[in-house]
Amino acid sequence: MNATKITIKNLAKSFITFRGRVDVLKGIDLEIEPGEFFVLLGPSGCGKSTLLNLLAGLEKPSSGELYFDQELVASATGKFSGPFERDISMVFQSYALYPHMTVEENIAFPLTNLPQVPAPEVMSAKVRETAALLQIDHLLDRKPAELSGGQRQRVAIGRAIVRNPKVCLMDEPLSNLDAKLRNEMRAHLKDLQKKLGVTSVYVTHDQLEAMTLGHRIAIMNNGVLQQVGTPVEIYRAPINQFVAKFIGSPTMNMLTGALLEENSALYLQADGLRIKLPEATAASLRAKNLKQITLGVRPERLYVKSEGEQNLTLPVSVIENVGPEFLVYSFHKQGQIVVRTPEEPTGDNLNLALDAEHLHLFDEQGNRISC
Amino acid sequence: MTRETMIKNFLIFSTGLFLLAFTLGPFIWMLWISLADRADFLVTGKVEYSFSNYYQVLSAHSLHFLDYLTNSLIISTITAVVVTFFSSMAAYAVSRMRFPGRSFVPLLILAMSMFPQISIVGYLFEMFSKAGLINSHMALILPYIAWTIPIALWINMSYFTQIPLDLDKAALVDGAGRMKVLYKIIFPLALPGIFSSALLVFIACFNEFLFAIMLTIDYTAQTLPVGIALFQGLHGEIPWGNLMAASALASVPLVILTLIFQRYIVAGLMGGAVKG
Ligand SMILES: Nc1ncnc2c1ncn2[C@@H]1O[C@H](COP(=O)(O)OP(=O)(O)OP(=O)(O)O)[C@@H](O)[C@H]1O
Ligand SMILES: [Mg+2]
Repeated sequence: MNATKITIKNLAKSFITFRGRVDVLKGIDLEIEPGEFFVLLGPSGCGKSTLLNLLAGLEKPSSGELYFDQELVASATGKFSGPFERDISMVFQSYALYPHMTVEENIAFPLTNLPQVPAPEVMSAKVRETAALLQIDHLLDRKPAELSGGQRQRVAIGRAIVRNPKVCLMDEPLSNLDAKLRNEMRAHLKDLQKKLGVTSVYVTHDQLEAMTLGHRIAIMNNGVLQQVGTPVEIYRAPINQFVAKFIGSPTMNMLTGALLEENSALYLQADGLRIKLPEATAASLRAKNLKQITLGVRPERLYVKSEGEQNLTLPVSVIENVGPEFLVYSFHKQGQIVVRTPEEPTGDNLNLALDAEHLHLFDEQGNRISC
Repeated sequence: MTRETMIKNFLIFSTGLFLLAFTLGPFIWMLWISLADRADFLVTGKVEYSFSNYYQVLSAHSLHFLDYLTNSLIISTITAVVVTFFSSMAAYAVSRMRFPGRSFVPLLILAMSMFPQISIVGYLFEMFSKAGLINSHMALILPYIAWTIPIALWINMSYFTQIPLDLDKAALVDGAGRMKVLYKIIFPLALPGIFSSALLVFIACFNEFLFAIMLTIDYTAQTLPVGIALFQGLHGEIPWGNLMAASALASVPLVILTLIFQRYIVAGLMGGAVKG
């Protein structure tokens, strides 16, 4: 296996347009390990595709450097190698299949460009092997127009892996598929990457895809990396409010308010909602001497509790039955608060308990307060 | 059938019939006269049909019909090939590459084609006289290239911009060089545009009159439209039968070309490139 390590050093990219300069990437530092399945996650327009195009060699950086293993492949002023010299392959969101070629010709196309073009038998065998791996070997004579979305996607992947590239780049490859097919292809892709062991960078704006596929995830916003880590790390300890809101579904509940001390307990007063903070949380907040915080708690970490220690009471607005569990919505001035519970709640109000371990606290700048 | 659809069908049918009569009418009239032995048959009522007009046009040496036809074919073919080559390359560049002022290029080129022919033909005559090009094929090929390239570029550009940029990127990533991307991916997909621009340029040159009559002198370089127009001058009276036979023959190459090319100028070649 020829897995490659990618090192990105202070990489920036700006576009000059008639309306002036657009800074799309603002100093990205990142290391992607050999054989890793690395996911770039972020909202639309945050610069994911631009970063991928820089990795691919389809765009030149405005500053910073890019290394594949020890080798410098791109810098603003010095060396720049094109996509082929870097030995990368790419799967596009639009598939970008060549419409006038058959599936076989599409998959074989990268092989025909090799410095030493393989003999026809070798090439055909390689194409067949790749197609079999993706279960499209019965479609080799068809043109792309005669294929379904999922089949086209497989052809695009086949074309990307047929020559065993050093790095495989994928730009939202599944976003044009319907939900069922997407789940299927996701599992397939994960399995395939494991078998091939090729360093892969996968761009998506779907947090579920990122969580399920990635060994590690980098979350981007406005051309800046927010957090890099394993799915579990990011889910458990989001570094700021942006990441916290972006990861997890339904999104994390957030309440902002002033802290006040009463009867030797610490409360968060958030627009008419009074939350008693668990003692452990209260203790560390007292030590930091903060006036105002944002409290984040995931829907499944709000526990419905009818007796004993209770931290807050929520008026119930809407209840949704989503198969094995219930989602309870409470509309609040700062947005809706969602509770996830296995039992259907009764009554107009919901008494809830919190546990200190699963609370996320953010300061006024939106950064995580470590407790 | 409701009243509404009846009226609709009637309107569609009658407009279609009118358009057909409008375009085909003169053509049929031309064929009719070319086959009659005398042009005033409607007045006198006496007529015999034969191919004698065609025979005369093709065999009479003094008419030089075949010389004109050869000139026309040579000049139009060379112009169409050269214009198609350059305009498709240019269309690729303008639709693909990012350079400052890119969006002005098509406008500038279109502006060039806005000068009326009559306003430049005098100067062209003087220029070609000095260069000793008057009455040569070159005297027409050069201005024709300049005159047709803007429209060819526009047609090609509209086709090239329809080809998704992702296809270029994919081919580059797959290891093809810029030239290979062009002839393996882009050109095959832009073929309908390339063929239609080639055909249009050919037809335009084949029919052009003003440059041809000003910049050529005799049958060594004159083209069909000029040649046919000169039929009358040579004989004093107007030889309607010969004129119409020559015109009918002149349309044969265009009809053949259109029949050959039209099956390439079909839409739907792009199917399946991107999602959809
Ligand atoms: N060639 C360009 N010229 C000017 N601005 C550009 C260019 N390419 C991209 N941008 C801008 O850069 C920003 C990031 O674009 P990019 O395509 O990387 O976003 P993205 O994260 O991939 O979004 P999406 O999820 O919608 O694909 C956008 O605001 C876009 O308008
Ligand atoms: Mg994108």
